[in-house]
Amino acid sequence: MSNDIRILVVDDDKEDHLILEEYFSESGIHENVKFVENGLRAIEYLEGISEDAALPKLIVLDLNMPLLTGSQTLLQLKQNNRFKNIPVIIYSTSESDNEKRKCLSFGAIDYLVKPVTMEEGQRMVDKFKSFI
Amino acid sequence: MKEIVTVKLENEMDLILAHKRAMKLCEMTGYSLIVQTSIATAISEIARCAIEYGREAVLALGIEAMGAKKFFKAVIRDKTDFSLRCTEACSFAKRLVDDIEIVRNSKEITITLQQQLSFSGTLSEAKIESFANYFKTEPPLSAYDEIRRKNLQLQELAEKLRQSEDDYRFLTDTLPLMMFSANNRGVISYSNKWLQDYFGFVPKELNQATWQVVVHPQDYPSFGKDLAYAVAKNTSFNGQYRFRQKSTGNYLWHIITVIPLKNDKEIVNRWIGFIVDISAQKQVDQTLKDNRELKEIQQQLFENQSELQQKVIELNRSNYELEQFAHLASHDLQEPLRKLFFYTDVLKKKYNANLDTSGHAMLNNMTLAASRMKELISDLLNYSQLQQQKLKFETVDLNQTMSEIVKDLDIIIREKKATVNIGNLPVLNGNPLRLRQLFTNLISNALKYSKHDTPPIIDVSASEEDENIVIKIKDNGIGFEEQYREKIFGLFERLHTRDQFPGTGIGLSICKRIVELHNGTIEADSVPNEYAIFSVTLPLSNTVDVLIEE
Repeated sequence: MSNDIRILVVDDDKEDHLILEEYFSESGIHENVKFVENGLRAIEYLEGISEDAALPKLIVLDLNMPLLTGSQTLLQLKQNNRFKNIPVIIYSTSESDNEKRKCLSFGAIDYLVKPVTMEEGQRMVDKFKSFI
Repeated sequence: MKEIVTVKLENEMDLILAHKRAMKLCEMTGYSLIVQTSIATAISEIARCAIEYGREAVLALGIEAMGAKKFFKAVIRDKTDFSLRCTEACSFAKRLVDDIEIVRNSKEITITLQQQLSFSGTLSEAKIESFANYFKTEPPLSAYDEIRRKNLQLQELAEKLRQSEDDYRFLTDTLPLMMFSANNRGVISYSNKWLQDYFGFVPKELNQATWQVVVHPQDYPSFGKDLAYAVAKNTSFNGQYRFRQKSTGNYLWHIITVIPLKNDKEIVNRWIGFIVDISAQKQVDQTLKDNRELKEIQQQLFENQSELQQKVIELNRSNYELEQFAHLASHDLQEPLRKLFFYTDVLKKKYNANLDTSGHAMLNNMTLAASRMKELISDLLNYSQLQQQKLKFETVDLNQTMSEIVKDLDIIIREKKATVNIGNLPVLNGNPLRLRQLFTNLISNALKYSKHDTPPIIDVSASEEDENIVIKIKDNGIGFEEQYREKIFGLFERLHTRDQFPGTGIGLSICKRIVELHNGTIEADSVPNEYAIFSVTLPLSNTVDVLIEE
């Protein structure tokens, strides 16, 4: 099954999991998405994958999380030789320019503000799809 | 010569005295009566000439030892050389004594008559001393002699007094204080040099006019009153006043003491006074006082500073709270709102068929309410960010800013069939984003609060007033009542219901804050249902280039 996981979503908000699942099922890729609730779990999950080929094709990171924040997780990923090439997209409620600049400088390929309408959500998921 | 007795030679009575004394001394030394008479006659001859022609002549009788021999001597000294007018007397005298010697110098003439003593051996020093004592204590030879002696004593006393007075005068003249004495009528009998030098004149009388010249005009009223009281009551007078120093024209602080002096009958007949310079002491006092005041001011300053520090701490805390609030607004408040939007959206799209008309209406209202909240949060966030921001300034051409705003608002301008007239605007030093926000808000308001039946006409103009540039945005809308002129800039202030005009009541608060951050002011003026004018006044120092053409 793990072979089928192409997107890893790291977000502590359970409701957002449900909302994202809604979008992913609309797009028909919900089977390829793994949800974990914080950065620590994300690292654990990735380290549990022995074959590089089985690593996800995209990591979606929320910023405001307990234990390991989004930007801290991002830094750890980028310092790890096995994981540093996996593209990371930040998605957050915060529209702060500072936060955005910081994440992009840490190596995130994009910074998205969490969607409000279904259309916005769909557009975001379409973007995720382009990576897998 | 051992002088035994002297006689001043001034008149005939002195001549008799000289003769008698000479006879007596000769008798005591043991001469025979003939020799006594010869010597006394010789002396009288010369003395007579001295009285007649000389000036301040003095006869001294004495005994002189020369080796084993002793001589009787009579020495007559005079300030004028009278000998030339009495050659006859001199030659007569010469025959009566052993020897006569005349010595002249520039000051005086000395005529010495000399006769060897017969029994030199028996005349001891003690004996000669006893002769001198005899003449000191001898009873007066006559009434004249007595008067003469008293007169001499008085003259000596007077001389001593004069010397003593000279000493005191010298003393008082060198003392660094002013002294004076005056009689009961104020006529000055004595004033020392210091007083004369200080006042620059020798006062003859101490009266109102004299004091008014030297006492400081501000001090004079109390000085005059106190002095008059002391004189009337015959008591001493003491006070601190400023006296004018003639040489510099400065009034220096002095202590004056005036004391009444009483005679034997306890009646005040004289006054003496001292005036002592205390300006140095005053200066020290003043310096000490200044120092104390300075310390008090310092203390006050210190207290103010700590108060200020406390305020800064409070402000920082309040700023921190605002920051926290901004964070809360940006994240925690928006988070549930976002989900609310999402679920209403899902409801609308997926469960459309399951809702009736009323359900749809409610769902719509829910979306509208959520939108308002989103707007409110976004405005509040904006405002709170402005509270803590220090704006970065750069050159902003308001003409360009305004044309961009008009472009942005194009849809609503066309919808409302509005006309926006833009005059020449200045190029300012300011924050481009915030200035754009400011004028967007003001133009939006002008469009929003228009009359239903009249297309909006908005005039944007700039003018120089004093040290400021004033940018006015005038509309022909519904305006507002005079009483709301200030109120409309308050946070959450709304003059209308949401049905009439939607809004959060934060827009003009943001405008005010932006203007303040540009060191300016904003004012509103209106005639209800005719117009509203919003005037933004910015200091000319902000202006890079004023592009106003008349």
